[in-house]
Amino acid sequence: MSADTKDRSKARGRRRKRRSANRPTPSIAVAFLRMDIIEDISYPMSLVLSELGTVLPILVSFFIGELVGSTVATGNDYFTFAVLGLAVTAVLQGALGGFGGSLQRALNRGTLETLLVEPVPWTFLPFAMNLWRIMMGVLEGGLILALGAVLGADYNLSGAGAFLVLLLLGVLANTAIGIISAAILVLSKRSKPFLTLYGMAASLLAGSVFGVSQLPDWLQTLSWAIPHTYVINASRAVLMDDPGSFVIPFDTAVLALAIFNVVVMTLGLWLFSRSLEYGRKMGMLSGY
Amino acid sequence: MSARDPSIAVKDLTKIYDPSPTWMKLLVRSNVTSSVVALDGINFEVGPGEICAVVGPNGAGKTTTFRILLGLTTPTSGTATVTGYDAQHESVAVRRMVGWMPGQDVSLLMRLTCTENLRFHGRLQGLKGPDLKARIADALAKVGLAHAAEYSVFALSSGMRARLQLARALVHSPKVLILDEPTGAIDPVAAHELLGLIISIVEEERLACMISSHRLEEIEALHSHVVLLDKGRIRYDGDLDELRTIADRQQLDIRFATNEGARQARKLIEASGLGESVSVEDAMVTTVLSSSDTTVGDVLAALESVVPEVVHLQEVQRPLRDVLADMYREDQQS
Repeated sequence: MSADTKDRSKARGRRRKRRSANRPTPSIAVAFLRMDIIEDISYPMSLVLSELGTVLPILVSFFIGELVGSTVATGNDYFTFAVLGLAVTAVLQGALGGFGGSLQRALNRGTLETLLVEPVPWTFLPFAMNLWRIMMGVLEGGLILALGAVLGADYNLSGAGAFLVLLLLGVLANTAIGIISAAILVLSKRSKPFLTLYGMAASLLAGSVFGVSQLPDWLQTLSWAIPHTYVINASRAVLMDDPGSFVIPFDTAVLALAIFNVVVMTLGLWLFSRSLEYGRKMGMLSGY
Repeated sequence: MSARDPSIAVKDLTKIYDPSPTWMKLLVRSNVTSSVVALDGINFEVGPGEICAVVGPNGAGKTTTFRILLGLTTPTSGTATVTGYDAQHESVAVRRMVGWMPGQDVSLLMRLTCTENLRFHGRLQGLKGPDLKARIADALAKVGLAHAAEYSVFALSSGMRARLQLARALVHSPKVLILDEPTGAIDPVAAHELLGLIISIVEEERLACMISSHRLEEIEALHSHVVLLDKGRIRYDGDLDELRTIADRQQLDIRFATNEGARQARKLIEASGLGESVSVEDAMVTTVLSSSDTTVGDVLAALESVVPEVVHLQEVQRPLRDVLADMYREDQQS
């Protein structure tokens, strides 16, 4: 074999090795999932109580439903209207805060550097570190829907498939926003204020427990910019016979969420990787 | 990379930390108001099977050097390569080659068992199935933690945690070990054992190993290649024993029959200029010879009439910290 051929084959080998080093695999996602599960179930009481804290507001909606009955904005079944809003919000909040929360915990505990020196592409971390929170959000949403059904909420199950599609797109959209918040966290070392503010604004503008049509016009305009609005209101449209006066058709919601995902996910990943690169340059990746 | 190539090569490496721009101050406050030169054109190499101790006071540039090699920080100029991969542009490939042990045991996942910690790390390194299982068992056995495989990390002693961190650094069979103050949190006996373990593993597996420590007696025990950093520059790069011959000066302890003899001897040594820091305590004179050329005979010749009063004379090898402190002091004075 000539020296040239040897060099070329060496370079090919190296390129192959580099490629394999960069490839995120399900095994890596499973590793993060397993770690998060073990950590969470290590504190069973805290886990159960925090789940209860998420699920129990449904009782408040139940009694408000008894009080208000039907309105133009919320349709003829306020309780189902609110249960759907709460369930979808629980799922989306899991996706929204999961990555930022995991990153913040790793930063505070001192485990962030050990994660960053693993041969995992940094842009894969937002997905791997968010999996467990998304699953917990789905569990919370499921519990809310189940408890709602026990208390008398009435779902049109023929729309279940469409509902799952909307949830999936919503989870992706909120993961993208979570990635933007993580980009801020890398530089500012805090992301909670951003997420708290956004989470509150999203619940308000998307009308999780009231109709968007009850908001002033200028706030209704802002509602269109929030993915929660599309997921919650289109979910009501597919799962309720009378979803109230503010209805977003399924097709419109899917299109809007798809566009949002492409734009915001691309932007989020770009910002996250830029902020990591900037953190590398400034030597502040794991600082406090 | 051929067998003769260094596993770690650092060439003209410079790192300047600039102050944060104004917009960054809205996000997080910083006290840095002017540029800080953390590394100033350093060069060194570490070969397979070699331990390189990086020594220097706080702010010397040790951590920055390690962080650049690990891809956590980018150099301002110059290059750092690990097994031929560029640490700046091929950092993912570099991270496969490196086993890193940070100084703090909080980097371990406290609620997970030893096995689970290694499994998590191994999976991120791309290992799985029976291979991963075998490597975990092997790494735990190497560091003497096989019996504690199913213990949760929070229940381990500091010494055991340090061993687990070493096992984590080894589980993916790296070519290079970077150990940042590995004995910082453990007692001297555990530290001694850990260093012995590191030396034998490095020898057996022909790893290139960089280690930093503030405990200079540990560095001395390594009998290794030393890179002495100060203010971002290399003050010395070479064999530790060689460093002693260049920089060390002997300390002489001379016991006299009487206190009066000792006091006279002190005056004579000070007057001759052959010794520095001359002190007297209980008829014992202690002095550090002014230069490495000065001999015991020179000092005895200078003592003249009090020589008959000498009852005991001993040459003492000074602790490494004193040798280094002298070097840093000379550097500051120059």
